[in-house]
Amino acid sequence: MLDSTGLFVLNLLASLAPFLIVTVSLNLEYGYAGIPNFGKTLAVAGGAFVAGVIPGRFLAFLFGIGKNLSYIDDNKQIVSAINRQLVTDPVLSIGIIILTLIMAVLIGALLGLLIAYPVARLRTDYLGMTFLAFGQVILVIGNNFPPLVGGTLGVSVPDPFAFVSVYSIFDLLPGEMRNLFVITFMSIVALLVFLFARRLTRSPLGRVLRAIRDDENSALALGKDVQRNRIIIMIFSSAIAALAGALYAMYTANVFSTTYSRTTWTFWPWVMVILGGAANDLGIVSGTFIFVAVRQIISYYREFFEPILPFNIVWLDTLLLGLALLFILIYRPEGLIREKPIKTIKIESLSVEESKKASIKQTSGFREELKKIIETLLKLPKKKETEEI
Amino acid sequence: MKVTNIRKTFGGVTALDGVNMEIDKGKMTMLIGPNGSGKTTLINVVSGFYKPDEGQVLFEGRDITGKAPNEVSRQGLIRTFQVPAPFIKLSVMENLLLASEGNPGESFLRAPLRSRWIKKESEIYNRAGRVLELLNLRLPDQLAGELSGGQLKLLEVGRALMTNARMVALDEPASGLNPTLAHKIFEHLDEIKRDFALTLLIIEHRLDIALQYVDYVYAMANGSVISHGKGEEVMNDPKVIEGYLGGTCT
Ligand SMILES: Nc1ncnc2c1ncn2[C@@H]1O[C@H](COP(=O)(O)OP(=O)(O)O)[C@@H](O)[C@H]1O
Ligand SMILES: [Mg+2]
Repeated sequence: MLDSTGLFVLNLLASLAPFLIVTVSLNLEYGYAGIPNFGKTLAVAGGAFVAGVIPGRFLAFLFGIGKNLSYIDDNKQIVSAINRQLVTDPVLSIGIIILTLIMAVLIGALLGLLIAYPVARLRTDYLGMTFLAFGQVILVIGNNFPPLVGGTLGVSVPDPFAFVSVYSIFDLLPGEMRNLFVITFMSIVALLVFLFARRLTRSPLGRVLRAIRDDENSALALGKDVQRNRIIIMIFSSAIAALAGALYAMYTANVFSTTYSRTTWTFWPWVMVILGGAANDLGIVSGTFIFVAVRQIISYYREFFEPILPFNIVWLDTLLLGLALLFILIYRPEGLIREKPIKTIKIESLSVEESKKASIKQTSGFREELKKIIETLLKLPKKKETEEI
Repeated sequence: MKVTNIRKTFGGVTALDGVNMEIDKGKMTMLIGPNGSGKTTLINVVSGFYKPDEGQVLFEGRDITGKAPNEVSRQGLIRTFQVPAPFIKLSVMENLLLASEGNPGESFLRAPLRSRWIKKESEIYNRAGRVLELLNLRLPDQLAGELSGGQLKLLEVGRALMTNARMVALDEPASGLNPTLAHKIFEHLDEIKRDFALTLLIIEHRLDIALQYVDYVYAMANGSVISHGKGEEVMNDPKVIEGYLGGTCT
């Protein structure tokens, strides 16, 4: 059995992983490209809905389950029957995980394309409101159109991770094995998404995005295709946000459209990004971690806080995080960790590695020029001594 | 570059009223005129930021009228802004690196693959170093948002030099600077013009400073060209004198 520390860490990771994916996604849009996506929940819910709609129906069809039943009305019955078969088939289970994630990414990309349309046409303030509306629309549909994800009653998602529970390591209970596996898997996906986004932004492309954010007209005047870059970023970031939704739905093994509320999947990620520091990778990791950890500590030590609080404990995390946000916005609007210029080439390494790499097919003149540049750059006087022009 | 019969109106205001201009390759051409005479509007039209109501803009023989700003810029015609518009959270070096064209690392598919762009990036880096030297702006790591007004003007010029521009249109590159610094900017521009074989179109108010550097002058008032020629000729043109003193002129 897991001890309380193990459980704490596991639960922490269970929220951290999906939220990190969403903050990475929001950071690409808002932090780097300056697109105020107040409809973050659209893509997250989109991904979750994919998990709620596709694998269950596909498996029911595959196993020939519930031919005379309604997938939505007899959902519990059908999904239990699916799970009993799925648990014995690791290969199919893994296939379903991969299929669900790929479908989620595709639907997410499509939703990104959809909301990229107004990006090309509206000014920032109207854009924010449009995004907000888009985020709301998908929840309204989810709530009021039962064939999608069961309306207000929700749907169960077949558990493609259940097969793990038949194995056991460290004397873990079957349920714990399953959770350990899912959460580890989510964390790995989150880490990969983070690293990929980091690579993407620590490149000339990241520079172009930040430039578009800082001054659109200047970027245009320098030949950058502003709209195209914004659209690409919306598509990519929506695709990864959908990944978070699908993972979370598979982890919780159900989809309730109310889970994907504006508060949880739009407002919270915004707080995390602003708290930590937009356009700074370490910043958004810190912001996400602090947010998730504060909430979890409060819920873990409920009994301790409850008697000493003059108000209902359910307000404590909102209050603390709201206060934190206020302080950040007033005293450190760039967030805990500021955005820093990105060095695509390290000056030191340029002389040794990069220049070697770079000059493989170059004439020797190039290397000499590089050396000269490095020397002059290294000899540059400090800020104050430089002539004021 | 050749500008033919350009008209541009904003509601009831006629900002450009049939402007004709011919700007010679490799020369520094100055555009003067009182405030509101349409100089900035002309640059906005030429660079694709505004679509003209009428008229044609030819650049190197090609019709660029009504093209998007980023397309005009990729054709080799770069403009700067009257109010410097730096990328404030980017360092000076990044501002320059960004301005360069054809960096494969700016494409979404190649950006994650460092090996695909590092070579070009190193070359650009190299060039940016030279531009900084040339402009005597040796602050590669400074955030552009922290530069002084004069340094920002230099950065605007520097960014234009990082492109493969064959022509740069500069909107008041020396305004708001004291005469010594203004001279310095013009000296730089003159040097750059020769080194890079650039065509320059420069808007400037202070004739006393700029005249000694420029090859040709156009004077505008109320949206039309009222005089053009060599510096001295234009300066002695009664229409120009009246335009500057009276502010109105037909
Ligand atoms: N975007 C715009 N909308 C409305 N009027 C404009 C706009 N841009 C310029 N104008 C008008 O066009 C005229 C010329 O302005 P401008 O080109 O900025 O003059 P200059 O640069 O010579 O000082 C002015 O009367 C100005 O008010
Ligand atoms: Mg002007």
